[in-house]
Amino acid sequence: MNRAQRKLILPTAIAAIIAALVLLAPFLPLADVRLMDIPGRFSAPSSEHWLGQDEFGRDVLSRLIWGGRASLFIAIGSALAAAVIGTTLGLLGGFFRGFVEVITVRFSEVILCLPPLLLALLVVTILGAGTWPLILALTLLYTPNYARVVYAATLQVRSLDFVTAQTAMGAHPVQILARTVLPNILPPLLVQMSLVVASAMVIESGLSFLGLGVVPPTPSWGLMIRAARGAMEQQWLLLVWPSLALAGTILTFNLLCDRLQSALDPRGVTGGGALWLRRGRNAPAPTPVAKVAAEADALLRVEDMSIRLHAETGMIELVRGVSFTVMPGETRAIVGESGSGKTLTGLALTGLLPDVLSISGGRALFNTRDGTQVDLSKLDEDAFRTLRGREVSMVFQDAAAALNPVLRIGEQLGEAIRAHNDIDDAALNKRVVALLRQVGLPDPESRVRSYPHELSGGQRQRAMIAVAVANEPRLLIADEPTTALDPTIQAQILTLFQTLKDETEGMGLIFVTHDLAVVAEIADQVTVMYAGEVVEEGPVDQVFARPRHPYTAALIASVPEGGADRLVAIPGTVPTPHNMPPGCRFAPRCDHAIAACSAAMPDIERPAPDRRTRCIRWEEVT
Amino acid sequence: MTGPLVQAHGLGRNFPMRQGLLGRPRDVWAVRDVDLTVARGETLGVVGESGCGKSTLGRMMMGLDAPTTGSVEFDGRDLADVKGGERRRLARRMQMVFQDPFGSLDPRRSVGAQIADGLRIHNIVPSDKIAEEVLRLTEQVGLSPESVRRRPHEFSGGQRQRVAIARALATRPDFIVADEPVSALDVSIQAQVVNLLMDLRQDLDLAMLFISHDLHVVRHLCNRIVVMYLGRIVEEGPAAKVFGTPAHPYTRALLESTPSLEPRHAALGDRVLPGELPSPMNPPSGCPFRTRCPIAEPACAQAVPPLTPQEDGWRAACIKAGPVKIAEPA
Repeated sequence: MNRAQRKLILPTAIAAIIAALVLLAPFLPLADVRLMDIPGRFSAPSSEHWLGQDEFGRDVLSRLIWGGRASLFIAIGSALAAAVIGTTLGLLGGFFRGFVEVITVRFSEVILCLPPLLLALLVVTILGAGTWPLILALTLLYTPNYARVVYAATLQVRSLDFVTAQTAMGAHPVQILARTVLPNILPPLLVQMSLVVASAMVIESGLSFLGLGVVPPTPSWGLMIRAARGAMEQQWLLLVWPSLALAGTILTFNLLCDRLQSALDPRGVTGGGALWLRRGRNAPAPTPVAKVAAEADALLRVEDMSIRLHAETGMIELVRGVSFTVMPGETRAIVGESGSGKTLTGLALTGLLPDVLSISGGRALFNTRDGTQVDLSKLDEDAFRTLRGREVSMVFQDAAAALNPVLRIGEQLGEAIRAHNDIDDAALNKRVVALLRQVGLPDPESRVRSYPHELSGGQRQRAMIAVAVANEPRLLIADEPTTALDPTIQAQILTLFQTLKDETEGMGLIFVTHDLAVVAEIADQVTVMYAGEVVEEGPVDQVFARPRHPYTAALIASVPEGGADRLVAIPGTVPTPHNMPPGCRFAPRCDHAIAACSAAMPDIERPAPDRRTRCIRWEEVT
Repeated sequence: MTGPLVQAHGLGRNFPMRQGLLGRPRDVWAVRDVDLTVARGETLGVVGESGCGKSTLGRMMMGLDAPTTGSVEFDGRDLADVKGGERRRLARRMQMVFQDPFGSLDPRRSVGAQIADGLRIHNIVPSDKIAEEVLRLTEQVGLSPESVRRRPHEFSGGQRQRVAIARALATRPDFIVADEPVSALDVSIQAQVVNLLMDLRQDLDLAMLFISHDLHVVRHLCNRIVVMYLGRIVEEGPAAKVFGTPAHPYTRALLESTPSLEPRHAALGDRVLPGELPSPMNPPSGCPFRTRCPIAEPACAQAVPPLTPQEDGWRAACIKAGPVKIAEPA
């Protein structure tokens, strides 16, 4: 039983007790609901009458239970009837569209235009008061609500690939609706259901209160409230009981539907909770910028950096012991599959890790423009803000998401420049246009006034790069900047990176990607990551010509380039962080694995002065 | 190889768009004048950049979208003429594998139930044999037997794509449209799926339309290749010819701008195609590629160049077409 199912126990239990009470009312040893006892009217709760007696001396407890029978029957009955009719209409309208949509959904929307209480009053007035007219009125009232909710959800679901797949398979439309669409629109349907039951109970009580619902002397909660209102001065408790019953039942039902919804979600619901409520992290306290005398060599030296996830189940190390350096003017590629930790490494260096992650070890020494050395792994947000843009800058994969959609390109670029420079408007404008021209955006003078959605994917990526290089950073980190682009546009952007680097002396570039071919085109040095660890490192041409780690070798062989008849596929999948194999993390998928591989984590070996590999058998197998 | 199984004649799809509130609808042709054939046992690759109409073409070939002009014939029958129950029976013989393995499986039903759907709908096997057949299919695509009880979210991307392929194979189709089936997968996983598709083509004598923007994968997997640009076919022919000595300047540009593991002699900058795909709402006159073409001349703006045969089964739509060996390492 998982967490979501456990959370169902409480509301289910209460609902079961309520249901059992009203269903078993005829068999319970309750007093007759009509038995009057005039001398005992308005008497307080006693051992004989647990909740006291009403204005005719009738037993309140028994009337409450029998009243619940009437109220719940009407509310749930009409909610279910409306659900069945409304869902059918919504499904048909949303799935078939066109003419069917007009006669189902649009028609039922007419009812939505009428004031609900008036509509109910109208039906009850025509058909007379009583249980069945009330159910009919409420069903009529709530059908359009369901139809609309289901219609909207169906529209969303019908365009999904798995529904198209069913159509392509030749399934009958009715079958698709019942088996594929309906289960996938259940969540909004359940929410709607809980709302309607609650609202139907209130309206039923309201109508009964007005004398248009259940006919006395049959008890109902609405009638009880009505009667108690007149006798409020004599016995206020009479008002409390039915109100409590009404509110309690509605709350229980809402809770039940909410929890049912999350229990039905196959993906399971994550812990959740507000960010600020989460437990404090035991990350090292942010220390002030460590200013050390600069050693004038590497631009960035990452040493043994680890990144941890603070999960409910404890700490999980997502990136372990990553080390690499970036020299001025050098392009370092970090390459790996999804889950290798390559993106996290990039984010950590700009202080942009999500809140649940933190750097748990190692250092990242960065030489700033003015010759001091800072440890990027220890900086706090304020210290990072002074570095970002001017010293370290980042380009993201999805330019459409990274640019602000409501600001013009020129404004966003200007903002980035103003963050570090104090210049007047004319100079700023000139600088913006110059930057856009530098990144090769056609017609920069008019593009300044464009919004991001007015640019194509390639042009947006150019604008992103312009923002990133606006303050001439010394280190540019690009996270899959060309992955979403077409081949000809990708080639354009790669050329742009090359040109930018040639024009800016001493700028280091970290290029995070999964595409080995891109690495071969652009990088000088490559770091290969697998399951959160660096497995191999070295100059690109050497690593690709002669990989010294089985993973790199397999990765290169799995690229469908060259004449091989069959691709080399690496069996299995990347291990999840919860389930890391002992020793070498690649061993379970490695063709050359021996017992010693899983015994201990392999040390870094140096096949050549500038090469590193994390494999104990590199000499024999590569 | 026998005669063509699927044939498209003059296929076109128009999505009229209204510009502004009161503007008149303008024609936006996603696909235009496409003639195609796919034979049994053949894999036809469709390549092109996003917005070139290759996915729309795939959906029309499957009969999921009705073409605005032209027709699709499957085994000699026009898909537009077959309706209702008969159309659903015909659907058994054509299946689709989608790009996104996370969206193409129903998250609420077990993998086994989804594979069994096709078996039940078309009565492929008697109902008491269904469980057995599902196991056979999961094994065929390389999944473990216990996976049939699990739901899609418990699988990785590559495994889900295998499930999607198993589901497509359940109805024993003759024709499969695979729309970017490996684009969303990691390199090492991509190789697994590409190998699987190659095995299946051989074992089952499938006709396959393989849509992809990854030229390396297409070259590896396909016998014949169609290159599309702005809704039209610009070059079509045997894989070795089209990618070895491309006749159309766009194919050449596409090949040259695709990054390669082997460093090439020319610097990247010299191989880059300038500009971007023109808007399909306002296509250039004449040859659609002329605005970016390095060898365009005034005559290119006159008329849309027809697909003219180069050699047997090899056609290109360019007035200056001719095979050119490019500096792509073999």
